[in-house]
This record gives sequence, structure tokens and C-alpha cells, in this order.
Amino acid sequence: MSIGSFLGIETARRGLVAQQRALDTTGHNIANVSTPGYSRQGVALAAGRPLSIAGGGPQGGGMQIGTGVDVVNYQRVRDTFLDLQFRAQAMRLGDASARTRSLDQVELALAEPGDDGIGAQLGRFWSGWSDLANAPEAGAARQSVLDRAGTLAASINALDAHLSGVQAGARTELDVLVADTGDVRAYATELAGLNDSIAAAAARGAQANDLMDRRDTVLDKLSALAQVRVEDVPGRPGALTVFFADVDPAATPLVDGATPADAGAVRAWPLTLPASPGGQLGGLAALADTSSGPVAQYRAELAAVAQTLMTAVNRAYTADGTVAGNFFSAAAGNEAATLAVDPAVTAGNLRAGTGAGSNTTALRMAQLRGRPAPENGADDAYAALVTRIGSEVRAARREEVHAQVLSDAVEDRRQSTSSVSLDEEMTDMIRFQRGYQASARVMSTMDDLLDTLINRTGRVGL
Amino acid sequence: MTRITDGMMVRTILRDLGSLEARLRTSQERAATGKDITRPSDDPFRAGRALALRSELEGIRQQQTNVGEATSWSDTTDGAIGRLGETALRARELIVRGATDTMSPTAREAVAAELDQLIAAAKQEANTAYDGRSVFAGTATAVRPYRDADDDYHGDDGVIAREIGPGVAIGINATGRQLLGGGVAAGDDRLLHVLRDAAAHLRAGDPAALSALRTSDLSRMDNVVDGLSQARAAVGAATNRLEIAGQRLALAEETATKLLSDVEDADMARTLIDLTTQRTAYEAALRAGAQIVQPSLLDFLR
Repeated sequence: MSIGSFLGIETARRGLVAQQRALDTTGHNIANVSTPGYSRQGVALAAGRPLSIAGGGPQGGGMQIGTGVDVVNYQRVRDTFLDLQFRAQAMRLGDASARTRSLDQVELALAEPGDDGIGAQLGRFWSGWSDLANAPEAGAARQSVLDRAGTLAASINALDAHLSGVQAGARTELDVLVADTGDVRAYATELAGLNDSIAAAAARGAQANDLMDRRDTVLDKLSALAQVRVEDVPGRPGALTVFFADVDPAATPLVDGATPADAGAVRAWPLTLPASPGGQLGGLAALADTSSGPVAQYRAELAAVAQTLMTAVNRAYTADGTVAGNFFSAAAGNEAATLAVDPAVTAGNLRAGTGAGSNTTALRMAQLRGRPAPENGADDAYAALVTRIGSEVRAARREEVHAQVLSDAVEDRRQSTSSVSLDEEMTDMIRFQRGYQASARVMSTMDDLLDTLINRTGRVGL
Repeated sequence: MTRITDGMMVRTILRDLGSLEARLRTSQERAATGKDITRPSDDPFRAGRALALRSELEGIRQQQTNVGEATSWSDTTDGAIGRLGETALRARELIVRGATDTMSPTAREAVAAELDQLIAAAKQEANTAYDGRSVFAGTATAVRPYRDADDDYHGDDGVIAREIGPGVAIGINATGRQLLGGGVAAGDDRLLHVLRDAAAHLRAGDPAALSALRTSDLSRMDNVVDGLSQARAAVGAATNRLEIAGQRLALAEETATKLLSDVEDADMARTLIDLTTQRTAYEAALRAGAQIVQPSLLDFLR
């Protein structure tokens, strides 16, 4: 078999096209240098299918001649293993961040250690009784005791209300995220659409690099919200089945990769979350939990403080046996929210002691200051609550920092693999440009050869 | 080999700057507030300790107020009992003078009248008030324990106590009943009873009355004077105790304040050095960041 005269021109043309494609891809990379979630792409080049020449070889056998270059594929450079690692850390970080954000508020609401916290107000309350013991006849001292008691009770009420607000806030945030119009569903819908496009491209034998990047970005965001697991779909290349907030393999997937978006790929709403979905939703669910979550426990402890205070004060107030009513009153089971000075107690009838100038009651009350249980115990219980909240906020913050460091480390490795380096692209640009120039040179050389053949052959002597 | 890309470089610089800024902010907060712990999570254990110390300090300061208050009360009581003692001594002298047989009835009447005056003065002294409260009326501080019309004691026997330490309270009052008694009607051999008897004996002027004046009245009067000195000594002892309590509280306040400062306050020298070091590090990071981000291969290509 002979070789056509124009083979060289064809080879040069394919070289030109391949270098141009490579330059296009470099341009695409440079354009996306700061696009979040973008993975750099590369052109997979391969030598073209060679032509076989029968006979004429060194041993009389056949030979092959190269025909230039082919663009085999446009690849995105990405390590899916790092994606899995990143999503695991994103989930941890989402959980820790949600906790830290809310617990920070709790800690700020305590205002401890300081002059405005409940600790200081307890101190002023006891001092009020002591002042009254010094001047049991004075109306001003009685009013002062009442005012301080009222402020103390109101502060405990306010702290409880704040804690309850933190719970309600977490519940609202959680509800908004998983609502019909929430982020989770929006992400799911987007995933189903992307699945369709990617699967359609795959059916045509093409790899939808940029769409896959977008899908990975959505999966990253979703994994910050809760546990995410993805599976390939055997019958539909390119599509992914996404499980959300559930490790149970039999669970209904959030997005069914085998089904097109318009045929119900996204699962039915509303979404019922398991007990511990992980991620931000998991953190929020724990905070919002009204029976065993951290905030619920703080409220229970605060209620115990209020209850202890009320019991101790009332016991001391009625110890003479001659007083009918209590000093503090509160609804049973909800002491922290309802603690108040009993409405029957007024500055006029507030008891300082057994008689007009007697201060026995006030003295007994003043001596409750800082006493441990069973006499009082409220001061100690409150200090223990503050220490506990402090420790847990500290632990949550440390957990967040830890998750952040790990997530940053994985992200660095991911970026190291996938992100665009301008220096690299510049070098590539020079390489491909030179390749293009050289291919063009080959073509003009071929042109010269043909010129010699066509225009000068057979014109000897002319 | 790890590829380092432009995006990574920017991310790293931003992250490092962020963590430096966070540390700088913590140091700045410490320097500005002078506190090492501004929230429980800065150091939960120390925060709990600070809470306990603050409560202790508040208690100590209140008890200092109480001691000051009680001391003023004691001083008032002490002065009044001292003057009552003087009155009693003067009355004893009059009784001794009036008990002589040679004295004329008119002169005896004059002595009896002076005794009446001393009785009135003693009652007035016993009505002494501190801050509008009768100090010798027990807990019935709103009433005057003695009236001009009768010698009855109108107060009660209540004890007035002040808290001067954690769980420590001392009684600081003496009652009119202990000092002056309730007069003849009460028959208690206290100041008023004895003086009224003595005045009556002087006015009667017969030998039996004068003999009673010399013997029983005088010895009862001695008992009264002794009783008043004892009462004054008791008040003095209470004042002493208050003084000692005051000194102890001052010491306790100093200790608690120092402990609280150890627990809560920032070590200023260290904080300021930290702050300077961190600011230097921050500026260096900014400068390095600016220089790293700038150049790229682009600068060197035609």
C-alpha cells in the first residue's frame, strides 16, 4: 500500500487542531481560576491510528507510519477519595459550628463572671436581707429586699427564656432547612437535574466535566448539613443515587439516580429525620431537643437552682411558724421560668422577724449566703451550672477548631490536586502555542514539498 | 509532590491571618478589660472559682457594713449605760447623805426631790435612740421603753443580733428591764425600784424608814451599781468582739480580693508582651502575604 501525498498535511492539520483544543482547555482553566469547586481539566492526547504499509520493511514485513495526534478525551483532574474525606469532615464541622454558635449565645446570656450575672444578684439578694437585719423597722430596707428578690427572680426567668429561645431558634433553623422550600430540597432538585444532564452526556459517550464539578459542589454543601452517601447506578452511567441523613442502606434515597428528575427522582416530602442525622441538622436537632439536649439539661439545672433557692428561702422565711405565706413562689416543674416573689408579700408585710423590731427572719435569711445543701445550695448549684456550661462551650469550640483544621487539611489536598495553577497554565500555554506554531511550520514545509512536486517537476530546462 | 496553586496560597494566607487576628483580639480584650477570663469557657474551673470568690467577697463586705452598724449601736449603748452608772452613783451618795438622823425633814425632802430628778434622768437615758430606734427596748425599737407617767418597762425582752461572719451572729442589745427594771410595781430590786423606795423612805423620815435607808436600800443600791457595771462590761465585751470581727473581716477581704485577682485578672506585663508579639507577627504575615500573592509567571512572560 502506498501512502498518499497529502498525509503529511493531514498530520499537520491534526496537530494544529489538537494544540488548539489544548489551548482552549488552558483558556477554560484560566477563566475558572477562582471558580469554587472547579477542577482543572486536561486534554488527553494520543498518537493517531497508524497506517500500515505492507512490505518494504527491513525483513520484508509490514511497517506502520504515524498519522499525528488525536484528542482522546477532556479529563477533569479530581480524586474522589479526597471528596469522601472532605464530606466526612464537612459533616463534623457543620455539627460543631451549629453547636458552637448557639452555645456561645448561652454563654453570653450568663454574663459570668461579672457584676450583672445571677451570681452577683444572688449575692446582692442575701446582702439585702442582711441590710434588713440591720434595720428591721426601715421601710427602705424592706423595699430593697423585695426589689433585689424581684430582680433575681426576673434574671433567672430571663436566662430560662433565653435558653428556651436558643432551643426554639435551633428548631426554626432546622425546620427551615428541611422545609418544602428549604435548602435540602433545593439541593436535591438540583442534584436530580444534574444527574439527568450528566447521564444524557454519558449516553452520548461524553464526560460532562463541568456539570460533575457542580454536582460535587452541591454534594459538599449537602454533606455539611447531614450524613451523605452516594452510590453509582448500574443501569444509568453518570447518574448518582444520594442517601441523606441516614446510614440505613434500605432507606429511601434523597435522590434516586435511576429515575429522571421529572419522574420523581427526589423523594417525597416532608423529610423525616432520624434521631442523629449528623452535620448541621444533627447539631441543631440536639440543641432543639427539649428532653435530653445540652440546652434542655442547662434548663433543668437552672430549674433545680431556682427550686433549691425557693425551698431554702421559704424554709427560712417560715421557720418561726407564725407566717402563713411563702416568700418565693413558682409553678412546680417549671421553676426557672416562673420563679417570682409571692404576690402576697409586700413591702408592708414582709417579715424581718417575730416582732416589729425583731430581725430573726432576716438574720436567718442573710446567713443562707453561700451555705451548701441542705441549708441552701443554690449558690453552689449555680456555680456548678456556670462551670458546666463553660466546659461544654469550650469543648464545642475545640471540636469546631479541630474539625476546621481537618477539613482545611483535606481541602488543601483536594485543591492541590484539582485547583488551577496559573504558572502551570502559562507553561502549558507556551507549550501548546509552540506546538501549534511547529505544526503550522510542518504544514508550510509540506506545502513547499508539494510546490516543488507540482510546480517544478518536469520543467527541466525551462 | 504537593502542587501549590494560586487559590491555595490565597486560602492559606487568609486562614493564617484569620487565626492571628483571633489571637490578637483575645489579647486585646485581655489588655482592655484587665481580665484573664471574660467568659466561663475561657477557663471553666477558674470561672467557677471566681464566682465563689465574688460571692464570698460580697458577703465579707456586707458583714463589714454590719459590723460598722453594730459598733455604732454598741457605742450608743455603752455611752448610755455609762451615764446611767454615773446617775446611780450620784443617787447612792444622796442616799448616804439623806440617811443621817440629824437632817431636817425639809432637807430630806430636797434630797428626795433630787432622787426624783435622777429617776427622771435615768428614764430619759434609757429612752436613748440610735437612728430613731430605742436601744434599750428589746426588739420593740419603735416604742420608748419608759414614760413619765409610770415606771413600767414598755419594751420587750427580744435579742437584737447582727451577722458579723458567715453563720456568726452576736447579740448587741441590753434591755431597760435588765438595767432600770419596772419600778416598785415590778418589785425587781432594779434601779427604779430601789430609788423609788429610797425616796419614799426619805420622805417618811421615821427611824424605821431611815434604818431601812441605811441598810437595805444602800445594799440594794450597791447591787444596782454593780449590775450596771456588769452590763457595761458586757457591752464592752461585745464591742471588743465587733472590733476583732472587723479586723478579721478586713484581713479576709484582702485575702479574697487577692485570690479573686489571681483567678480573674490578666497578667498585664505578659498580656502586653503577647499583644506586641502578636501584632508584629500579624504585620509580618500581612507583608509576606502581599509579597507572595503578587508575582506570577505572567510578570516574566513577554
